[in-house]
Amino acid sequence: MKTGRKSFLAMLDDSVRWTGMPARVAQQLSGDPDRRHQPLRWRPIGPIMYACVLFVIALVWPPLLGEIDPGALIGVLVAFWGALFAMVPGIHANGPLGNSALEDDERQAALRKESILFCVGFLAVLNVLGQPLLMIVSHWQDWSMARAASVVTTALMLNIALWICLPTLYASWTLRQLPKE
Amino acid sequence: MSLHNRIAVFRAERGISRRQLAEAVGVNHQTIGYLERGDYKPSLELALKIARHFGVTIEMLFSLERFEPIAMTLKRTGDDT
Repeated sequence: MKTGRKSFLAMLDDSVRWTGMPARVAQQLSGDPDRRHQPLRWRPIGPIMYACVLFVIALVWPPLLGEIDPGALIGVLVAFWGALFAMVPGIHANGPLGNSALEDDERQAALRKESILFCVGFLAVLNVLGQPLLMIVSHWQDWSMARAASVVTTALMLNIALWICLPTLYASWTLRQLPKE
Repeated sequence: MSLHNRIAVFRAERGISRRQLAEAVGVNHQTIGYLERGDYKPSLELALKIARHFGVTIEMLFSLERFEPIAMTLKRTGDDT
């Protein structure tokens, strides 16, 4: 006789299914390379936002830096770098540009070129405008070495996050989902 | 300027899938989907390969102007004969 209540193991199975991992593993093992490289429209925004927030904190919240011990500050920065590098690898590999460039056909090659050019252009404008601005502000506000180092480090993190995630983000928003045949 | 095509019509008429056409012309099957929907303009080489695969001229597959409906073409052909 069925009681209608699920066993503990069935609930565990449901919780695993809820994470979406079984479907993801099945997709990875399906052998269809296109299913592994789906547009990622939201995931790349995470690392970019994370790096942006760290940069803004380093820029506008110097009293916090004064209270942290230099040794602890290095530890915190290493943790931030670790968190960033934990977020980004899967984004490029699972995105629409994740397959090898050698396997690209002409449309994929054009999309890759367009995405990378957009990213390079965006980074060039950002750095050409941002770096002189940071130099002027640092001179004007007479930044300490710790503050300058934290701003430079977080700016580098922002650049890396944008370099890795922006092409995937651009390509994902450029591609419209094709209906199933 | 938009480039119109009748790849989907020819593909349906021949009864071949996107994947089969893609394999025949050496591209990803998604590229055929984007071509059919007009999201991607093919290179001359790819356009010629697709036309050769269907055994038609390139003008029958691609046009800078919108293609007239097939019913209109058939009607016009019937009027001419």
